[in-house]
Amino acid sequence: MSHSRIRCRLRRAALLLTGALTLAASAHAAEIVLVTSAVNGIPALTVEEASQLYLGRRTTLSDGTAVTLFDLPGGPTRDRFYELLTGKNPNQIRAYWSRQVFTGRALPPREAKSADDLPTLLSNDGAAIGYLPDGPINPRLRVLLKLP
Amino acid sequence: MKWATIPALTLWALSASASDDLQALTLSGFATVGVVATDEADMRFTRVGIDRPGKERPDTGPDSVLGVQGNLRLGEASSAVVQVVSRENTKGNYAPRPTLAFLSHQVTPELYARAGRLRIPFFMQSDSLNINYAHPWVRPPEEVYGLSPFADLDGLDLMYRVRAGDTDIELHPFLGTSRISLYPDTKARLRRVAGANLTLSRGDLSVHLGHAEARLEINWQDPFYTALAPALRDLGRDDIAARMAGNDGVTRFSSAGFQWDDGRWLVIGEYARRQADRYANSAHAWQLTAGHHFGAVMPYLVIARHTQDAAVIDAEDVRSLPPLPGLAELVSGFNASRNLAQQSVTAGVRWDVHSNAAVKAEFTRARTDANAWGTFDPSSDAAASRMGGRSINMLSLSVDVTF
Repeated sequence: MSHSRIRCRLRRAALLLTGALTLAASAHAAEIVLVTSAVNGIPALTVEEASQLYLGRRTTLSDGTAVTLFDLPGGPTRDRFYELLTGKNPNQIRAYWSRQVFTGRALPPREAKSADDLPTLLSNDGAAIGYLPDGPINPRLRVLLKLP
Repeated sequence: MKWATIPALTLWALSASASDDLQALTLSGFATVGVVATDEADMRFTRVGIDRPGKERPDTGPDSVLGVQGNLRLGEASSAVVQVVSRENTKGNYAPRPTLAFLSHQVTPELYARAGRLRIPFFMQSDSLNINYAHPWVRPPEEVYGLSPFADLDGLDLMYRVRAGDTDIELHPFLGTSRISLYPDTKARLRRVAGANLTLSRGDLSVHLGHAEARLEINWQDPFYTALAPALRDLGRDDIAARMAGNDGVTRFSSAGFQWDDGRWLVIGEYARRQADRYANSAHAWQLTAGHHFGAVMPYLVIARHTQDAAVIDAEDVRSLPPLPGLAELVSGFNASRNLAQQSVTAGVRWDVHSNAAVKAEFTRARTDANAWGTFDPSSDAAASRMGGRSINMLSLSVDVTF
């Protein structure tokens, strides 16, 4: 085998590998996705914007639109969502939010009864967001941010 | 109370009319069941302006609390909040009282305004003194938080929040008045409270700076004052009596603190100061807390110190008094009973047993300064003369929940 053929094969292998990685990146399996109604105009959010909203430090988007936040009931998805978004563990988040709420600094997100209720809840409200485990998404919803 | 009534009635009226949209009204609450015991029979742990020192051993008064809160959303940008709390008060009963009752409005994305009854935010954790679940300790260190017994702010505040780079900045100016009952039967009041806090948060670190000033009014009704003030007037020393109680004082509260919590280590430190030109002493205090998270369990250590800067009746006044029998004792008793100076070391553990419940245990060893009662109250008149320079062991247990 000549050197040029080896180089050629290596290049092809490298190209294949790069392609595979690109494919994996574009369709990477996120753990949790931040979602909104498929029909509203909320633009994609950055981790920073979403974290400000879910820590009660802001109540509006950068253009001033008031946002309604939804939480899932207490459980692994909710815990993981806050961990990925804010870096705080479940106990830290609960202590943090108890202070925000009971000092009257912020109103907590509304709690959806289950993830299945989110398509309806998010379609009812003008600008409302919630989160779900990644997977096939209900066509009435649209992904705003993938975590991680 | 006037301030509190309007938002309370608004919330009541609106919650009735909003019953078709239950999403708009949220009810939640918090509670603590706590017990405290000291190993000195003649010294009772007490929190100034919060509880009534009791004979009970152990005492459930200092830490037990129940709070219920209603949040009502009024459209996209406004809300009404009412919180009612029941805990032992300085009269010794548990009569519920409104601790929050305000209307709020998000004026711009950065500016949040509130008016009504708010919590007075003099120090880093002052606005959450009832919310034990939010803190690592059984209670925030009394050396620091005893500097301000005032809890309500009837007035208004603004929260201006912006982000610069990766730092969240919150500027929190406030205005209003505050009233409180101190044990026994003393009324104290702050008028024309004006202050501002600045909080910077970046990642796991948060830094607090605060300053406030107010007109101070105190009318003491304790045995030292009621014996001493007429005696001083009889001696023609109205000048001293006028510095012990009245409605013409000025007081300032300042504090600087930080909090670091990266999910493994927790470190909290705070320095706070109270200056009063009359009626109360001037003092400063600091505390340093370090804890380590082991899953749901967090052991921690706290060191705290409260130091008096100026007594109510200063040394010069004392020297100028005639050497009448008992007078010097009365003056030093008056001063010491208003002096929280002490130092303490606390070892504790917080265990998050459930998603909304924490169990805490703390062992504290405190030593009161020679001329101070510290954070304690004598169990009898005879005990009042031997409160200074004492070492006390104290055990505190509590269960905190939110719902």
